[in-house]
Amino acid sequence: MYNTKVRGILIHGNKSFSDVSRDIIRPMDDKTPMWWWVTAFLATGLLFWGVWGFYNTISNGIGEWGLNNNVAWGWAIINFVWWIGIGHAGTAFSIFLLILRQKWRTSINRAAEAMTIFAVMSAGLFPLIHMGRIWDGFFIFPYWNTRGPLWDNFISPLFWDVVAISTYFMASFVFWYMGMIPDFATIRERTTSKMKAKVYGILSFGWIGNARGWLRFETAALLLGGMAAPLVVSVHSIVSMDFAVSVVPGWHTTIFPPYFVVGAIFSGFGMVLTLMIVLRKLYKFKDYVTDGHLDAIARILVFISLIMGTAYMTELFMAWYSGNEYELFTFMKNRVTGEYKYAFWTMITCNAIIPQLFWFKKIRKNITMVFIISLFINLGMWFERYVIVVTSLSKDFLPATWATYQPTFTEIAIFAGTIGLFILGVLTFFRFVPTLAISEIKGVLKETTTLKSFTDESH
Amino acid sequence: MSHTSIIGVYEDEDVLLKAIDKLQESGIKIADVFSPIPLHGVFEKLKLTTRLPYATFIYGVFGTVLVFGFLYWTSVVSYPLKFGGKPLNTLSFIIITFVLTIFVGTFLTFLTYFIREKMYPGKEVNIPVPRTTNDQFAIVIIRDQDMKDEDVKKIGDLLEKTGAVEVKESEY
Repeated sequence: MYNTKVRGILIHGNKSFSDVSRDIIRPMDDKTPMWWWVTAFLATGLLFWGVWGFYNTISNGIGEWGLNNNVAWGWAIINFVWWIGIGHAGTAFSIFLLILRQKWRTSINRAAEAMTIFAVMSAGLFPLIHMGRIWDGFFIFPYWNTRGPLWDNFISPLFWDVVAISTYFMASFVFWYMGMIPDFATIRERTTSKMKAKVYGILSFGWIGNARGWLRFETAALLLGGMAAPLVVSVHSIVSMDFAVSVVPGWHTTIFPPYFVVGAIFSGFGMVLTLMIVLRKLYKFKDYVTDGHLDAIARILVFISLIMGTAYMTELFMAWYSGNEYELFTFMKNRVTGEYKYAFWTMITCNAIIPQLFWFKKIRKNITMVFIISLFINLGMWFERYVIVVTSLSKDFLPATWATYQPTFTEIAIFAGTIGLFILGVLTFFRFVPTLAISEIKGVLKETTTLKSFTDESH
Repeated sequence: MSHTSIIGVYEDEDVLLKAIDKLQESGIKIADVFSPIPLHGVFEKLKLTTRLPYATFIYGVFGTVLVFGFLYWTSVVSYPLKFGGKPLNTLSFIIITFVLTIFVGTFLTFLTYFIREKMYPGKEVNIPVPRTTNDQFAIVIIRDQDMKDEDVKKIGDLLEKTGAVEVKESEY
């Protein structure tokens, strides 16, 4: 078999196994840094604001939102889709790159998976609060009831959504936790604190790292990964069907499932890039999350950005080519040139144009620029969902019912609350869990050092 | 069950793999190997296999049957109600069947792993060399009752000759 080494050295600094454990566990043993408290304080503030938004919605009803008869889906659905999209990075990273045997994933997968968990949690809150009568939320589950029994509508995409997202959350969590077990055992055996030995002892489930244990562990991880891989595709396809099975112009398109999946991976990788740049800066992980890693993500992003651009062009082309005047109106009049043109052009600029800067090596090497572009991607993907939801609903078939939409303070509060929740989750992760997969990094270490001696000899 | 074991501690995976070969050539039975990373060479040399993939496949089939059966029963038998002019038993059931098959498969595979490994939160651990979760490797050879002290010494020497940094006897 050809065994070409294209990637170069994955971990810099000629680390030994114990160096890896020490470096990655160090931030957990250090005193809690000031930036952590400040960020946690701000995030808690956002979270409380969101709790107020929830309270206001539950006690006064959905009328507290800026929705109307036409625009019945507003920020709640935009933010739901946005968070779910971000939540695709973890599994995309861990599983697609695992299946493609991309070893550079080892430095990033843990953080990406953690991000997935918290993003999906944030996302899940939106459909819940959108029910209005949240106390009747259990109606969504098919349970034996006294109404017939009347079951759910199993061919409704809204029900598929519930199934897909709860499955996705469970599968991502299980995969994430499974990967952490050997690392918890490493902490358990290394730590001098009795408290930590106890807590991480419980979390490690009694892992000892013998040969049979590792064999089963690897097999189980591969199986769980293999089963979760189709979920990456199916979850966002199902989310897109919430829109695509309707008859609303701008939603009723066959391109939606692949377009949403690619968009989700795009926004997920964008958020991973944002987060990894922050993580490696704060924890001085430059030897682990090297410039090469960021470069690889940037290269993927430039490719996905091209697909996004193609999808936008295809939508516009089909609107014209279909000969359907409603489609043409929605895309050309309402989106490209109409009232929502700022949102549309922000989306195009952030998603299809700005990431093209990653073609230049100089920009990929400039971490500040990479960070700024990653923020633009996050912003652009939010606007994509805004364009999809609001422009299509505000002006549909009957001009008499046309309406505009503005979010209210309560809707903004709920969004801010989920951002607070996400940040708090990520902070907890930064503080109490090994942020890089220790045992997986050790697994690729030998290979990179052999590679190093190989290159040394060839000089 | 706890035995008295002879344990050789190594610091490098390649040295460890060669040592396993040497030991097996001399007819010594290796009970277990501890390492901070999964070593495929060890799995092959100790001839370890797992039937977990078969279990997962069975769970998948079980999940598919269970979920589709439930959908069919609720929609066709228990309360037949037409939605959108579609047949009662519709192709659209594929979506939920597909997703929940993954749910059942993932969850049961996860459980099976812990049951087979006898792992649970808070389990007491008995690791012969605690540093094997960090940066060392260990070969464990069980000391049989009929093993004489010379045999044990011979094994110890062999372990040292193959590059062990430490050889010890302990309860494992």
